[in-house]
Amino acid sequence: MKKVLMGNEAVAYSLYINGVNVAVGYPGTPSTEVIETLKNFSDDHFYVEWSVNEKVALEIAAGASLAGARSVVTMKQVGLNVAADPLLSLSIIGIEGGMIVFVADDPGPHSSQTEQDTRNFARFCNLPVFDPSSPKEAFSLVKEAYEVSEKYKLPVIFRMTTRVCHSNETLEFEFERRKKEVTGFEERPQWVILPGLSYIKHVELEEKLTEMKSELGKLNIVEGDGQIGIVTSGVSYFYVKEAIKGFEDLFSILKITVAHPIDDRTILEFCADKKMLIFIEELDPVVEEETKLVLFENRIYIPTYGKRNGYVPYAGELDVDKVKRIIFDITKEEGLLLPRTFIKAPEIPRRQSQLCAGCPHRSSFLIVKSACKGKDVIYTGDIGCYTLGFAKPISATHTCLCMGASVTMAQGLKIIENKKKIVAFIGDSTFFHSGITGLVNAYYNRHNITVCVLDNLTTGMTGFQPHPGVGQKVNGENGQRVEIADLVKGMGIKNVLIIDPYDNFDLCVQKVREFIEKDELSVIIFRHKCANLEKNNYYYRINEKCTNCKACISATGCPAIGEDENKNIFIDQVLCNACGLCTNFCPNMAIEKVVER
Amino acid sequence: MKNILIAGVGGQGNILLSRVICQLYMNRGCNVKTAENIGMSQRGGSVVSFVRIGDSFGPIIPDGQADILIGLEMYEALRNVSKVNANSIIVLNKRYIKPRAASIEEKEILNYLKIHFNHIYYFDAYHIAIDLGAPKAENIAMLALACKNLLLPFSKDEILTALSELLPKGIFDMNKILVEKIYEKY
Repeated sequence: MKKVLMGNEAVAYSLYINGVNVAVGYPGTPSTEVIETLKNFSDDHFYVEWSVNEKVALEIAAGASLAGARSVVTMKQVGLNVAADPLLSLSIIGIEGGMIVFVADDPGPHSSQTEQDTRNFARFCNLPVFDPSSPKEAFSLVKEAYEVSEKYKLPVIFRMTTRVCHSNETLEFEFERRKKEVTGFEERPQWVILPGLSYIKHVELEEKLTEMKSELGKLNIVEGDGQIGIVTSGVSYFYVKEAIKGFEDLFSILKITVAHPIDDRTILEFCADKKMLIFIEELDPVVEEETKLVLFENRIYIPTYGKRNGYVPYAGELDVDKVKRIIFDITKEEGLLLPRTFIKAPEIPRRQSQLCAGCPHRSSFLIVKSACKGKDVIYTGDIGCYTLGFAKPISATHTCLCMGASVTMAQGLKIIENKKKIVAFIGDSTFFHSGITGLVNAYYNRHNITVCVLDNLTTGMTGFQPHPGVGQKVNGENGQRVEIADLVKGMGIKNVLIIDPYDNFDLCVQKVREFIEKDELSVIIFRHKCANLEKNNYYYRINEKCTNCKACISATGCPAIGEDENKNIFIDQVLCNACGLCTNFCPNMAIEKVVER
Repeated sequence: MKNILIAGVGGQGNILLSRVICQLYMNRGCNVKTAENIGMSQRGGSVVSFVRIGDSFGPIIPDGQADILIGLEMYEALRNVSKVNANSIIVLNKRYIKPRAASIEEKEILNYLKIHFNHIYYFDAYHIAIDLGAPKAENIAMLALACKNLLLPFSKDEILTALSELLPKGIFDMNKILVEKIYEKY
């Protein structure tokens, strides 16, 4: 079939075709679409799920692999930090059925806390890492990854970046599943990690890595025969090709597809007749450092230009124009032409991301802020849609570190800032991911904080994935629902409140205030379905009583309320999600409900 | 090789529009490549899609090399002018979603574009979509308007075929009516 596929979709199709038996993951941009695509395929020998976090997911994939199944676990780069513990140990005990650890990095970053480079993580774990440049290449490399994994009995890290994950390309392929027969679990002493065994297996692991070098080296690509060598990887390979267009004779390109373990011979052959080397890669200088080590060990000296001597930036993503400028700077005397002139965009402010119109979190934040009026409060925040609670005019997020940290950082703050009220905000999916352990700690150690779970009954930021609190499984089947309130009460916490942030605003404020004033740990669950999943047949509009005081805008910051050319306030009926929050702040009763669109 | 850039605000259907354009070119036998910003930028932030047709390199369009800029929103169109050149075609939705910190008014944006570009076409896709009973389909309205005015080389039937390949039945029916009415009325 011929299809336009996104990089992540291409990986999913290829995983299915290559007989994956178990696919698990936790959603996170830019990795989410692998599981989202796999969930649409059905087969008796194939299982897919969203797990509660990346550590859990990786351990499930590892278990399936020990039973001889082909497995995949998907996550974004920061998710790998959560799964680091089992992964490093797994590299020691090894696996049985092919196992791919799919990790999406986010140079830029477009929607992440960090710009960390998973290729470096692979070096740290002593595992092979594949780094495809395009959806097409990713599609074909899945097969190789499984074969390498099964041959060497090690998980293979399949690392992509946003521009590979989220770019689309025309692909032509046979959609036929090559079924993988599962052998079943076989008892072996090596599956139990013990210190003595670890040492023996570490020695083996290093030997395996050396052994696989030349085999993996075949996946690298060499192009051209110019004397200026460009060593590149990932999507940067295409930026390089486009940047040197018209000057191809001067250059030759080595694209490193497997960044670890790197094949010495490929590098030595490529460098044999080069007068200089330019390293073009995003994030860490992984390929640059490995290449330089190989050259040094072989007593070869070639002038090199890359991140280490300041020619290529460490931070942010690359593009054709940046790469062109870098190559031009380095090779001025070669007579390269700078990019042709283009129209310069005027300096205009960024458009800040914000909570959607009708987002129940907006109301929850404002209820808590109103309830805390006059108090000295620190609001700790977490990862998800509600991170946007930092934006004006809500301004109810003073810290945000990583998944689950709102609950735990609040405890640390409370120890030092004992006189202040500390309120933690966390979403429902994040609560299950890693909020719950923090809450157990707060209860056990008697940390007197208020935890607000903003429960919109979905994982909003990544595109509405279900989670334990919804009860629905990835494919829409019924799972077992976990009620957050019962869970919290079950551990012994007495002060637990569930409220709908769209109930009467003042009443909500009053209830929340009572809870916040308690001198012990309390949990408030704000529960209302995500605005994107609710359909209303009405909207709000501004009537003639409006005096343009803008109280509606300044209180809520709702993106559906704007100012027209004559500076009159209006509500955009397409954007309005009919939550009615703005009506609470209008002093003139000028916002009215209109039934039927 | 042809480069198309689509600029807009999260929620306007930017990504779907890029998919439809991809499908249109693919149905003509071309190879396509796209890139887009999704994730946090989805929530009312800036969204840019790059569509590259033919033997392209990477998915990102270099500065000055977009042949067509489809602006679903004026401020975002202005933000991306470094990707186009004076001879590029600019197809602009007369829609201004004013950012909080906006320092430039609607009129100034139009003036700026008029000074720098030779081929600007405006449509009021937003109001046309509302008038035709499909307020959330300003993206497809833009496509139909651009094709009807020969700014993109596709017929009504080609648009409907591509839409039927990409959209679920109910949403396709709504968009079909929209496209047909645009070809009749505008």
